[in-house]
Amino acid sequence: MSIVVIGLSHRSAPVELRERFAFAEDRIPGALAGLRAAGLAEEAVILSTCNRVELYVATSQDAPQAFSGLSQFLVDCHAYRGPLNDELYTFAEPRSVEHLFRVACGLDSMLLGETEILGQLKKAYDLALKSGHTGGRLNKAFQRAFNVAKQIRTETNIQRGSVSVASAAVELAQRIFSALDGRHVLVIGAGDTSEKTARALLSRGARGLVVTNRSFERAQALAAELGGRAVPFEDWGQQCEPIDIVISSTAAPHCILDRARLAPLMKLRRNRPLLLIDIAVPRDIDPDVNFLENVYLYNIDDLQTIADDSLRQRQEEIARCEAIIAEKTRALLGPPAPPPSRLRPALRSVAAEPFPT
Amino acid sequence: MVYGVSTLYSVFLWRKGFRQHEWTSYLLLLAAFLFHTVAMLERGFLLHTCPLHNLYEATAFVGWTIVAAYLVFGLWPRLRFWSAFASPVLFAMGVFALMPGLDAPHGHQPDFTGGLPSLHASLILLAYGAFGLASVSAVMYLTQEHDLKFHKLRAITALLPPIQRLELITNRLVFAGFVLLTVGLALGGRIPRPEGVVYIKDPKVLWSAALWLLYLALLVTRWRFAWLGRRFACGTIGAFAFVLLTFWGFNLLSPIHSR
Repeated sequence: MSIVVIGLSHRSAPVELRERFAFAEDRIPGALAGLRAAGLAEEAVILSTCNRVELYVATSQDAPQAFSGLSQFLVDCHAYRGPLNDELYTFAEPRSVEHLFRVACGLDSMLLGETEILGQLKKAYDLALKSGHTGGRLNKAFQRAFNVAKQIRTETNIQRGSVSVASAAVELAQRIFSALDGRHVLVIGAGDTSEKTARALLSRGARGLVVTNRSFERAQALAAELGGRAVPFEDWGQQCEPIDIVISSTAAPHCILDRARLAPLMKLRRNRPLLLIDIAVPRDIDPDVNFLENVYLYNIDDLQTIADDSLRQRQEEIARCEAIIAEKTRALLGPPAPPPSRLRPALRSVAAEPFPT
Repeated sequence: MVYGVSTLYSVFLWRKGFRQHEWTSYLLLLAAFLFHTVAMLERGFLLHTCPLHNLYEATAFVGWTIVAAYLVFGLWPRLRFWSAFASPVLFAMGVFALMPGLDAPHGHQPDFTGGLPSLHASLILLAYGAFGLASVSAVMYLTQEHDLKFHKLRAITALLPPIQRLELITNRLVFAGFVLLTVGLALGGRIPRPEGVVYIKDPKVLWSAALWLLYLALLVTRWRFAWLGRRFACGTIGAFAFVLLTFWGFNLLSPIHSR
């Protein structure tokens, strides 16, 4: 019995196709049972996320036969009638196991090294395990995948650093403040990136969100969505005293915060550290404020540079991760069978003879 | 020698940018601490007294308190890199302590007997240790603060504590040192005076009073005028540099402290 993988992901298929083949969570146990009932799998796990739909199957069939049956199963299961060319990919051992390990480590993710996929993979495995659709082969392979992901996380830098503007802002805040719990955040201008950044900060424990925008209705809508409160744009300066982090992204053609305005506010705040994140173009905050003590100003380029550098560093780690994965795959499956050319001549000649009937 | 190795390893850590948690620096200072402790114990047993009677011993004791405190704080992963900042200071102190003339022979009949002088000396040297550790923490703060201000990638990649926590640690260490110094000086005033000695005229006593005022000013300006962050860190480093540079000189000038 060998492990095979069939699926489609952000690398092979557009979102329109991925959503067409996605499995709702409540459908998965039924689909797993269907796979086994059809004789396509002895054991199976279905991973369905926004970026990939994959079937991990332990089967006694040979690989080409299994792939043919599994692709037909996917098509039938979703009543798909359109054309399918290279969107579906297939892996037989040992590449199927390598692929599982790469997915678990985030090496195959859209955001290289992200950790969310590991949680999704654990959940998919758990669902199959609880429904009784896994056995010795897949249990061992998935447990090993989780261990490899842990090892790679601790031994390499593949998950280090921030690869998005929002996460870079959060990381900066964590380098300045002892804890993000209870930090007060002011969002000036309700843009998309500022919303994502505010969300990221709130998810790490920041509290006391204040939103201001030239359109008060938009500020109210965002504040309601994020659980903060809206203030009129003219009054945001009065809110600064308890604020620790300011995210600014207005469409103002000139600076809305400069050194002359911030200096007295810093005195009022008793010089507590203040992180200013200016993601507006043109910039909202005069770069001179960075010369004030305990003020840390980052604009969109600074954050993007951090994100790009982190991504570059992660890419440099890929080779180390691949080496660990190759080693762990060998350890799980044993050494690869020697190719026919390496067989001894006598054995090769026997193998070439027709089987006596 | 182990402090020297640790200092060299610190250079390596600086160049690597403090990117990965590691124990080597901690273990090096642990080894140094063990040798240091054994040496101090041997000296204490040999002389049948607490080894705090000359500049060599005082410097060695201050270094010992700094390492001991580091070994506790260093258990927290983010504070383990303190070693990279503390090792050069410890090595410099060790080299300074070995300078000729600092290890003056002990008199057979000490002028001050009893536990009070030893307690007085120990508390004050512990205070210097706390001030030393505070200045190490302040250097760490300034490094991290500089990286954050000038948008260096190391600010993100280095596994150093957040600057606000470093500032808090620095403040607490200065405060702890100040309390120890205050109690130590107060106990010193209660030591029975040898005949003909006027404490208030002794250069070391005057220096200690100046030092006490310096640290008081540091704490008051922080609390009253919100001199946080960079100013407080610079003040802490400056105050400890003052201790390091003038301590031995005033000790030699003081008739009651140089015996």
